[in-house]
Amino acid sequence: MNQRPPEQVEIIHRINRIKKKVAPGGNIEAPGFINPEHIKNAQSVVEKSEDTYKEAIASTLEKLREEWEAVKTSKSGKNTDEIHRLSNHIMDMASTYKYELMDYFGHSLRDISAKIDVKNKAHQTIVQAHIDVMLVAYAQNIKGQGGATAKELKLILAKAIDKHELENTDD
Amino acid sequence: MVLEDFPFMADLMTSMLREFNVGKVITTCSVQGAQEAVNLRNINGPPLNHIDLVITDLLPPQEDGLKFMKWLRTHKEEPVSFLPILFCSAHASMRVVLSGRDTGANEILVKPLTAEKLAQRLLYIIDKPRPYIKSSAFFGPDRRRQTNSEQKVERRTLKPEDMKVTHESEAA
Repeated sequence: MNQRPPEQVEIIHRINRIKKKVAPGGNIEAPGFINPEHIKNAQSVVEKSEDTYKEAIASTLEKLREEWEAVKTSKSGKNTDEIHRLSNHIMDMASTYKYELMDYFGHSLRDISAKIDVKNKAHQTIVQAHIDVMLVAYAQNIKGQGGATAKELKLILAKAIDKHELENTDD
Repeated sequence: MVLEDFPFMADLMTSMLREFNVGKVITTCSVQGAQEAVNLRNINGPPLNHIDLVITDLLPPQEDGLKFMKWLRTHKEEPVSFLPILFCSAHASMRVVLSGRDTGANEILVKPLTAEKLAQRLLYIIDKPRPYIKSSAFFGPDRRRQTNSEQKVERRTLKPEDMKVTHESEAA
């Protein structure tokens, strides 16, 4: 019987160059440290940029709408890569600023865009439903869980998905 | 260096890093730009100008971030192949996290991005560096993280004679 030779594995312990570079006073034994005040300041950069979020989400939604029109009407079979990318960006931004409803819709569209047939009318309805509810969530500036309106929008989307039998499984 | 294709998130990440006082931050939105920066600095530049750490997004849908990580880990030059990598993703699925780990990420940050999370991952990379493992199937930081006493079973099945342990010397 043939026996495979044992695999050779090398375990390499490297010099911790990054630690040497950043260690306070060059003392590599000291634990790494980021001033808590700096962490607080970095988080406040996020909070202060929330106004720019609103502009960025508006322009990304517009790009998404235009891209979807281009995909739907394309004769050369344009794929949904850009839809996937833009919905991922929406999700990325919305989750950072705790716009949970927008995050939810972005996440759902991102996952769905990977498995739709763009020529299928039912699938087109589902993508359009995502874009429509995202535009409403943006227009109404719904933050956090969003209460009754958010529930209603999620329901609209769930019905559109159920009706057209496209399972929205998490990636 | 930050590799992120969405300028909004790239700017945000850069601003946060600047608040941490990490030094110069290079931002690029494409894999090609990232490769050029790494080659320029870590191959052709003096050690002082080397990129110390790469923060890369998954870059869906083609997952170019993983391709870039693979490029780094398979690079023939050590100042590139051993670069610490912080892999970020808004995909929280097990598949993506395991892909990040198996492609050689040192740490993984699942978004949403917060200053606390970013600081914590950076400090892990700095303070808790794992040895690199080189085998026919994998090159990257040791994927086993558990070091506490609860880990009673040794999962590595190789015999000691099949393992070679190397410590890099200061002169290297």
